Amino acid sequence: MQQRLTSSSPRTSEPLVRVDGLAKSYGSTRAVRAASFSIAAGEIHALCGHNGAGKSTVVKMLSGQETPDEGAIHLGGEALDLRTRQVAQRHGVALVDQELSVVPSLTVAENLVLGDGRTPWVNRRASPRSRALLDSVGLEHVGLDQPLGSLGIGERQLIEVARALGQDARLVILDEPTATLSDVESEYVYASVRKVAAAGCAVLFVSHRLGEVLTLCDRVTVMRDGQVVATSTSGELTIDSLIEQMLGEAPHHPQKVTAAEVDRDVVLSVEGLTVPGRVQDFALSLQAGRVYAVAGQLGSGASDVLRAIAGLVPEATASVTVDGARVAVGRPIAAVRAGIAFVSNDRKSEGLFLDKPVSWNLLATRLPDVTRLGVVSRRRWTARLSALVELCGLDRGRVGQSVGALSGGNQQKVFVGRCLGRDDVRVLLLDEPTRGVDVGGRAAIHTLLRDAAGAGLAVLFSSTELEELLDLADVVVTMHKGVVVQRHEGEPASAVLLREMTHGAGDSAAHGAVVAAGGDR
Amino acid sequence: MMLARVTRPDVLLPLTAVGLTAIAFAMVPVYTDTTLTTFDVYNTLQIFARLGLVALALGITMIAGEFDLSVVGTYALGGMLTVQAGQESWAHGVLAAVGAGAAIGLVQGCVIAGLRLPSMPVTLATYIALLGLTSALSGGLTKTYSNPEVTLWVDQVVLTYFSPRSLVTLGLFVLAAVILAGTRWGRELRAIGGDRRASRVAGVRVNRLLVGTFVVSGALSALGGSLLSFSLGSANPDPGVQPLILAAAAALLGGVSLAGGRGSPLGLLGGILAVALLAEIATVAAFPGYVAQLFYAGLLGVIVIVDAPDLHHTVTRLRARLRPPGGGGTRPLSQETP
Repeated sequence: MQQRLTSSSPRTSEPLVRVDGLAKSYGSTRAVRAASFSIAAGEIHALCGHNGAGKSTVVKMLSGQETPDEGAIHLGGEALDLRTRQVAQRHGVALVDQELSVVPSLTVAENLVLGDGRTPWVNRRASPRSRALLDSVGLEHVGLDQPLGSLGIGERQLIEVARALGQDARLVILDEPTATLSDVESEYVYASVRKVAAAGCAVLFVSHRLGEVLTLCDRVTVMRDGQVVATSTSGELTIDSLIEQMLGEAPHHPQKVTAAEVDRDVVLSVEGLTVPGRVQDFALSLQAGRVYAVAGQLGSGASDVLRAIAGLVPEATASVTVDGARVAVGRPIAAVRAGIAFVSNDRKSEGLFLDKPVSWNLLATRLPDVTRLGVVSRRRWTARLSALVELCGLDRGRVGQSVGALSGGNQQKVFVGRCLGRDDVRVLLLDEPTRGVDVGGRAAIHTLLRDAAGAGLAVLFSSTELEELLDLADVVVTMHKGVVVQRHEGEPASAVLLREMTHGAGDSAAHGAVVAAGGDR
Repeated sequence: MMLARVTRPDVLLPLTAVGLTAIAFAMVPVYTDTTLTTFDVYNTLQIFARLGLVALALGITMIAGEFDLSVVGTYALGGMLTVQAGQESWAHGVLAAVGAGAAIGLVQGCVIAGLRLPSMPVTLATYIALLGLTSALSGGLTKTYSNPEVTLWVDQVVLTYFSPRSLVTLGLFVLAAVILAGTRWGRELRAIGGDRRASRVAGVRVNRLLVGTFVVSGALSALGGSLLSFSLGSANPDPGVQPLILAAAAALLGGVSLAGGRGSPLGLLGGILAVALLAEIATVAAFPGYVAQLFYAGLLGVIVIVDAPDLHHTVTRLRARLRPPGGGGTRPLSQETP
């Protein structure tokens, strides 16, 4: 039933963490069946698998958020009954959850000790320990008494990582800690993770970024359909062999279909876009049928450019026209009326209605199409819905489920699908369109976007990932520290892109394509 | 640094509320022909004592992201139990009231946390049930408290402006402020109000904290009822909805967010003082009752507008429009080479 390519760890006889035959069902769905693996002290162990493979359920059971139906969890040779988060924490299990789990209404310092029973009294003075924790994840510029709500999503994620690493735990679980981080920020996480592992802690690292899995982790356990498929040392794996284990088939590399170079109408034109302190004098024209990318690390201003065009940055100034008509900046409703659709990088809080069914989410933005005299017409509703479900490649049987119950990849498909097939949309803006999405889902979303461009839309997305930029974009504009570095058409070399994104235009010749930890701050 | 702290809404709103009302209070001699006396300050603090504990009780549940409508029911029951159990000894009356309040809070907290129910319907049901229970206890009549020594003692003038009743209320605000600012319960209370899922993941004992919050809320409202009964020398089976409305207004004026996660006992203190000052102004100036109500509405309107997120967006957008073209007003982007 369960096939292990490599037997248990060769380095120690008694691993620090041993998971034996863990199983969990939700109703008739068997999320995890008989998962077994072990992690030695000092080992960084990756858990991989595409969306829905059961990784998150395993993480929930290990961190005390779910009770296993069967199986046992051993920590330091002792079988534990981890009934709640507090019990797990008391036994030394720290967690960075897949979803951002810091509280915006608290300060940075308060978030760093949230849930920590060891500090009953609040230390009013800035604690040197908290300061050191923040510094270790590269947040030297963040003040301890700053409200967390004033920070960006990447910085918040780093604070959650810092909180977990500061708990003196025996097992640290990081569930996609770098999904929302730029490459530079991720390097801080890697360095911190290596440090806690070196101190004798076991680390379970869940990630979709296969490159980081192979460079950071000692061993990799792959799950598929709720089962452990294999545990291998990372040295014997390549990206392709890992994908093969995850998908159960050899990966195929889709050929990029570059849009034919013809004179096309300019759909969106942006000039002099400035966001004080974040973006300076950005200009770009988008032609129909082409896919454009703004490439930049978190904080480069790439994301701000998209948000400003979508009218979501009140302090932005720019001259924006859609099909020649001027659009007022700073008012989302004006952007929507002009035909600009925006897909945020935070689908949970700025995108989907998580507790509502897939069908509602897909049709939420096109009620006029499915109503007659203000009353929803069942016939039109069903017709539109099935066309959209088809278009997005979603499972027909799941349209009645709440979106929150879908995997990240399918959620993102719904989010993107909501903007597709609408006559009123001229420009599609996507901020990190495949954040937290597995390999298969990513390819599907790329196809959706290509098709959208093929249907005559202008598509502009921002990304920090080279692979995505190279796969998807016809034109790549690199940004660094709020200014445009270079515009590339055709196939730019990945090394050039990476250099421009991490170092800007300045004396680039001296630097190789590296992501140097700390080099950007 | 200091400025940043003052512009935080949970500090700015109560400061604005107290500031505006204090100025209006100080200017009473300007727009009426009465002069202010120390008694007016004393009386303001008596109004504060009447409403303070109910506002504190409601406020802490709001910080935790809940809304305890039953506070006024507990307030009424507490007052009635005090009169009925405390004829011989005031302490018995207070113990009966606070014990009952805490027990009611315990039951409500367990139901809300255990079954993950929204607090509004649960506490509304409790509110109605408690009014019924209080009426049943008293036969629907106002009951007198026949221990005039206690009545005289709680309202005697202490230190010119205070009474034992207002000092007890003030002391409980200070105690709450110290506990919420100085211990993990304070940050965890705001955490569960701000993001309950994140707090659970972080290891906060959300359910236990919620139950505790309702217990404290029940005990505080019952104690407020006790003190009021001592002061009036009687207990009324139905205090009406005014205490609830004023307590909610005080919480909002005090910078407590309806969405939860924001607020502090000192902010609540500012909010309730603003309400008390307005009531006193209306009394001193001999305004008819509806004028005081219009004042509350006006002040609440100002505070809600000051706190409106869309107003902030509009202000920033206007600022961007007014900036000279060419980015003259922009801060330079950080210049740095690796």
